[in-house]
Amino acid sequence: MITLVLDIITTAAILFIVSAGLLIVFGVMKIINFAHAAFITIGAYAGLGASRLGLSPVLAPALAFLAGGLIGVAAERVVVRRLYGRPLDAILATWGLSIVIGQLVTLAFGREVQFVPAPVSGTVMILGEDYSSYRLLMVLAAIVIAALFTGLLNGTRLGLSTRAVIMNETLAQGLGIDSTRVRLITFGIGCGLAATAGALITPLASVDPNMGLSWLIGAFMLVMISGGSLLTLGLSCIVLGGLQVLASTFISPILGGLTIAVLAAVALRLRPEGFARA
Amino acid sequence: MTLTRSLSTLLAAAACAAILAAPALAADPIKIGVPVGLSGANSVVAPSVVQSAQLAVDEINAKGGVLGRQLALEVADDASGAAGAQKAFDSLIFQKKVDVLISMETSAARNAGLPIVARGKVPYIYTSFYEGKSCSPFMYVNAWVPEQQVPPIVDYFAKEKGSKKFFLIGSDYAFGRGMLAFTRAYIEKTGGKVVGEEYLPMDGSDWTPIISKLKSAAPDALITSTAGGAPNVTLTKQLRAAGVALPYGNLAVDEGTAKSMGTDAEGIYLSASYVTGIDSAANKTFLAAMQKKFGAELKTPNDLSVPEYEAVYAYKAAAEKAGSTEQAKILKALGEVSVDGPRGKIEMSKQHHAPLTMYLGQVQADGSVKVIKSFPNVDPGAQCPNLKS
Amino acid sequence: MRDRGSALRSMASVPQPGMPNWLIRAGLPALVGAALVVAGPWILDTYMLNILVRALFVAIAALTVDVLWGFSGTLTFGQSAFFGIGAYALAIGFTQFGFGPWQALLSLAAAVGMAAAVAGFVGWLSFYPGSTPLYASVISLVLPIILVQILYSGGSFTGSSSGLVGFESFDLSLEGWFRLAGATVIGALVVASVALSSDAGRVLSAMRDNDERCTYLGIDTSLVRIGLTVITGVVAALAGFGYVGFSGVAAPENAGFVFGTQLVVMVALGGRGSLIGAVVGAVVIEVASAYLSSSLPFVWELIVGVAFVVVIVVLPGGLFGSLRDAATALRGRIGAAPVLALSPVTLATLERAAVAPDRNDVVVEADGVSKHFGSLSVLSGVSFTARQGELVSIVGPNGAGKTTLIRCLADGRERSEGTVRIAGHAIARLAPDRIVGLGLGRKFQAASVFETLSVADCLRIARVKSDPPSFVGASPLLALPAAARAVVESSGLAERLGEQARFLSHGLKQALELAMVLALEPRVLLLDEPTAGLTRTERQVFAGVLTELVARERLCVLIIEHDLDFVRQISSRIILLHRGRVALDGPVADVVDDPLIREIYTGNNRPQRGEVMS
Repeated sequence: MITLVLDIITTAAILFIVSAGLLIVFGVMKIINFAHAAFITIGAYAGLGASRLGLSPVLAPALAFLAGGLIGVAAERVVVRRLYGRPLDAILATWGLSIVIGQLVTLAFGREVQFVPAPVSGTVMILGEDYSSYRLLMVLAAIVIAALFTGLLNGTRLGLSTRAVIMNETLAQGLGIDSTRVRLITFGIGCGLAATAGALITPLASVDPNMGLSWLIGAFMLVMISGGSLLTLGLSCIVLGGLQVLASTFISPILGGLTIAVLAAVALRLRPEGFARA
Repeated sequence: MTLTRSLSTLLAAAACAAILAAPALAADPIKIGVPVGLSGANSVVAPSVVQSAQLAVDEINAKGGVLGRQLALEVADDASGAAGAQKAFDSLIFQKKVDVLISMETSAARNAGLPIVARGKVPYIYTSFYEGKSCSPFMYVNAWVPEQQVPPIVDYFAKEKGSKKFFLIGSDYAFGRGMLAFTRAYIEKTGGKVVGEEYLPMDGSDWTPIISKLKSAAPDALITSTAGGAPNVTLTKQLRAAGVALPYGNLAVDEGTAKSMGTDAEGIYLSASYVTGIDSAANKTFLAAMQKKFGAELKTPNDLSVPEYEAVYAYKAAAEKAGSTEQAKILKALGEVSVDGPRGKIEMSKQHHAPLTMYLGQVQADGSVKVIKSFPNVDPGAQCPNLKS
Repeated sequence: MRDRGSALRSMASVPQPGMPNWLIRAGLPALVGAALVVAGPWILDTYMLNILVRALFVAIAALTVDVLWGFSGTLTFGQSAFFGIGAYALAIGFTQFGFGPWQALLSLAAAVGMAAAVAGFVGWLSFYPGSTPLYASVISLVLPIILVQILYSGGSFTGSSSGLVGFESFDLSLEGWFRLAGATVIGALVVASVALSSDAGRVLSAMRDNDERCTYLGIDTSLVRIGLTVITGVVAALAGFGYVGFSGVAAPENAGFVFGTQLVVMVALGGRGSLIGAVVGAVVIEVASAYLSSSLPFVWELIVGVAFVVVIVVLPGGLFGSLRDAATALRGRIGAAPVLALSPVTLATLERAAVAPDRNDVVVEADGVSKHFGSLSVLSGVSFTARQGELVSIVGPNGAGKTTLIRCLADGRERSEGTVRIAGHAIARLAPDRIVGLGLGRKFQAASVFETLSVADCLRIARVKSDPPSFVGASPLLALPAAARAVVESSGLAERLGEQARFLSHGLKQALELAMVLALEPRVLLLDEPTAGLTRTERQVFAGVLTELVARERLCVLIIEHDLDFVRQISSRIILLHRGRVALDGPVADVVDDPLIREIYTGNNRPQRGEVMS
C-alpha cells in the first residue's frame, strides 16, 4: 500500500518533469513542440557528457538546460518562428526537426545504449518500506522545477511580459511588449526544461538516440488535457499517472502503458479546452 | 561516426573482394548476401556481425576460395524491421543475385524475408538466437533456441541456489513472450513455481509497478527476457535502484552490454553458446585473427557475430560436399556438414537447427563474464517436425 | 416539390461541351499511367518491380492522407492503422483458415468491415460540433499506438512483434501484381480526382477553408468528416490488404505511428492537396529509400528529415503545389486571369417555391434568453419577437451583448437559459446547421467566405443542402434564388464567377457572403454590422437591397448596426440592448427619440446624435 502510494507520487513527479517544457511552449505559443522528445535526448547526452568530463552530477541538469536552451533558441529562429500562424504545420516541422536531431545524435554518438551512473543509488527506508532513493529525489526535482517556474512567471519582468502575451497577444504588443522576443525565450526555456528532464531521468533510463520518444505521447496528452496551466498539469500528472500505476499494478502493465493516451483522449472529447479552468 | 565506420568497412570489404578476386577471374565470385540491421534496433550489434563475415570471407579467399571461386559479401540494411527487410531481401536476391544469405536479424525481419527467400529459392542461414519454431525448407539455423538457453539457468538456480519460486519479466514482443513461455513451462516441469510473469510494452521505460509487484511476490529468483538495448538497461538499472538483490538470470544480455552497464550488471547470470572466455584453441585463433584484422575498429565478438563467422564456413563445407553452388544441392548438404569453429563443432542436423554447447556465465565486477559451467551438446528439441533431416 | 427543369429560366445560353471536363482532366494522365502500368514489366527488372508493387500500395494509403489533410484539412497520423487493419485481416484470415476464394472474400469483408467500424468510431470521437483540428490529430496519433499494442499482445494470433508470415496467398505473378497495383492506383486517382473536383467534392475544400461558414450554410460538417474518415479508412485498409497479399507478411510496423508519420512526410513532400503529388511523393520516397538506405542508413533519414522541415516551412504546397503555383504565376505573366474553372459558369434563376401564407407570421421568438460566462452575465432575460416582413435593428453600446444575442439565436448550444423559436420550432440545443435548416441565415461581421474557392463554387456550396450536388461532375449552371442572383448581379460578382474568393475586394467579399446566405432562401436573416467598412455609395445600394428583400420576399431581418441614420432609414423597429437587457423595443421614431438612448450614449461620453455610436 505504501509502495503503491510512493509509486504514484514518484511516477507523477517524473511525468511532470518530462512534460513541463512542453507545457510552457504550448501555453505561451499555442504550438505543440513535437521535437520535445529530441530535446529530452539532447539533455540525456549532455548528462552523459557531464559524467564523462567528471563533473559533479548536480551540474548535469544545468549543463543540459544550457545545451537544450541554446539549440532550442536556434531552432526557434530558423524554423518555428515562421509557423506561428500554422499550428498543424508547426507540429509537422518540429516532428521533422526531431528526425534531424535524432539522426545527428546517432551520427555523433552512435546507436549504442550509453550509460550514466546514478548519483544516488540504493534505497531508503520510508514508512517501513524500502524505496528507490533516486525516484524519491525526482519528487524533490519536480517541486523545484514547479517553484522556479512559478517564481519566474510571477516574480520577474519577463514573467509579466509572458503572462501578458498568454492573455492577449495583440494587446501585449500594443503595450510595447516584444512578443517575438518573449516567444524566443519561451521556446528556449521549454527546450531547456525538456533537456533538463532528459538529464534527470538518465539514471533511471538508458541513453540512446530514441530515448525521448517513449515519453512524447504521454507528455503531449498531459499537456493537452492540462489546457496550458502548470497547476492543472500537476493535477493531471497525479490523476493520470496514478491511474497508470493502478492499471499497471492491478490489471496489466501493457494496459497501463495505454492509460494516459486513452483516458486523455476521452477526457478531451468531453472537455475540448482541457481542464485549465475547471 | 557509425556511418563512416560502416561505410569504410563496406568499402574495405569491397576493396578486399576486388583485389582477391583478381587471380580467379576465370569465374565470378560466389556472392554471400548479408541483410542486417545497420539501422534500427540491431544497429548496435550489426557491425560486429559484418566484421565476422568479413574475416571468414577473407580467410577462405586467402586459401583459394570455394570450388575455385572467390567469395564476395553483399551487405544490405534491413532497418531491423519488416519493411526494411523486404527491401533488403529483394535487393540481395533479385538485384545482386546472391548465391546464399547468411544473416543475424530480428524475428520480424527474418519473417518478412522468408517469403522472398522462398520466391528466389536461395539458401538462407539464420545466425541469430531466437524464440524458436521458425521453419522453412530454405532456412537453416546455427544459433540457440529456448530449449537450449533456458535450462542451464533454471537448473543452476534450482540446484545451486535452492530457488523454488521464480518471477519472470519480459518485453511484450515475440522473443520476450516466447522465451518466458518456454521458461515457465520448464520451471513447472522441473518442480519449480512461477509466482509472477509480467510484460512491459517494447517502448516502455518505467518498470516501477512491475518491480513493486516483484518485491511483494517475494520470489527466490528472477529471470528476465527483455528486448536488447534500452529496455534491458532500464530494467536492470531500476531493479538495482529498487534494491533487488535476487539471483538474476538475464536471457537477453550479452557480454558487451554487460560490460558497459558497469556495476549495475554485476552478478547477473547469462546463458550463451559463445562467450569470449571460451578456453579453446579455435576460439583463441579466431580472436587473434579478428584483433589483427580490425585492430582499434574491432567490435567485441559475441553470441550473435560468431555464428555468422561459422555459417560462412558451413556454406563452404556444404558447397564442397555438394561439389556445386546449385541451390537445391546446397540446401541438402547444409544439414549434413559440420564446422569446427570458436563455439566447437556445429552441425545443423536437427530439423534445420543445431545442437550446441551452452555456457552459463556470471558478470563480474569488472564487467567481464566468468564461465561457471558448460553444458555440451544441448539439443534444440523438435523445432520443425515437418522438415526432413 | 419544384421541378428543376421548369424552375430554370435562362437555359438558352448554357454551353454544351463535347466532353465533360472531368474526363479531360483525369483522362489523359490516366492513359499515360495505364501505358506505364502495361509496359512496366517489360522495361523494369524484378527488383524494381518488387519495390514498385509495395510502393504503389503505400501510395494508395498516402492518397488517403492527402484527401484528409490536403483537401479537408484534417492532419492525420492514423491512416497507417487502417492500412494495418487491412494487412492483418488478410494475414489472420489466411493463417487461421487457409487460402481459398471464400477465405479471400471473407478476409476482404473483414478488412472493409473492421476499417469502416473503427473509422466510424474514430470519426465520431474526432468530429463533433465545435471540435478542433488539433483534437482530430491527437486521436489519429493515439489510434495506431493502441492498435500496435493490441497486435503485440495478440500472441500467435497476430504474431506479436514478428508479425504473421508463412500463409499461402494469391498466386499471382510479379507482373500480375505490378499491373494490379498500378491499375488500382490509377483507379483510385481517377475516382478521387473526379469526386474531388465535382460539385460535392468542393464541399471538402470549403470545410478546410472555413468550417464555421459551412456549418452556417446548413452543412453538417461533422457528418461529412466522419463519412470521409470511413471512406478513406476503408481505402487505406484495401491498400494494406493488397500490400500483404503481395508481400506475404504482415508486421506491426505496417500499422504503426512511425509509418503514419512517413505517409504524412510523403504527402508533404509530394504536395498536399495534389493527388498526383501524393502518389509521386510516396513512390519516390519508397524507391529512393530502397536504393539509398542500404548504403546510407542514417544519412538517408537525415536527408528526409531536413527536406521535410524545409518543405513545411518554405514550400507548404510541396513539390507539385510549387509547380502549380509556378504555372499559375506564368499564366499570370502572359496575361491570363487566375481563373479556376475550366468551363464558364452560367447563372440561372431558381423560382421560389410558393410558400403557403402563414397566418402566424412570427418567425423569431426569444424568451428569457440569458448567457453567462462563470459569474459574468452578458445577456439576462432577453425576450422579443419578430415577424416576417420586419426589419429589426439591434443597437446598443459596445459590450451590450448584441453579437452574443445573434449567436444565441443561431447556435442552440450558446445560451445559458431561455428558449428560442425559429419559424415556430424551438431550437433546443441544436447545432447551427440544423437551425439553418429551420430557415435561418447568418452573415458574419467579418466577411466569411471560402478563400480558395471560386465565387461560383462559394455560391454552389450554399445550395448544397437544397440541391444535392453531383459527385461526378461540375455543373456549368449555377441556379440561384432571385434574391441571391440580384445581389450577385448588382454587385458585379456575376462577371467574376470564376475567380478565387481571396482575390475579391472587401466590399465584394461582403456581397458574396450576403449572396451565399440568401442562396439558402432563409426566412430569418441575421446581419452583424454588414456596412462596416463600406463606402457611402455601397451603403446606399445595400439599404436598397435590404428594403427590397423585406418588402418583396417578406424576409425577417435582424441587423446589428451602429450608424443611427442608416438604422432610421431602413428599420421598421429598433431594439436597444444595454448591459445585456432589452432597454427599449419599439418603432423607429419612439426609440430614437427616447431620452434613455441619449442617456446611455452620453453616459459613455459618446456624441449625442453620432453617425457612429460604437
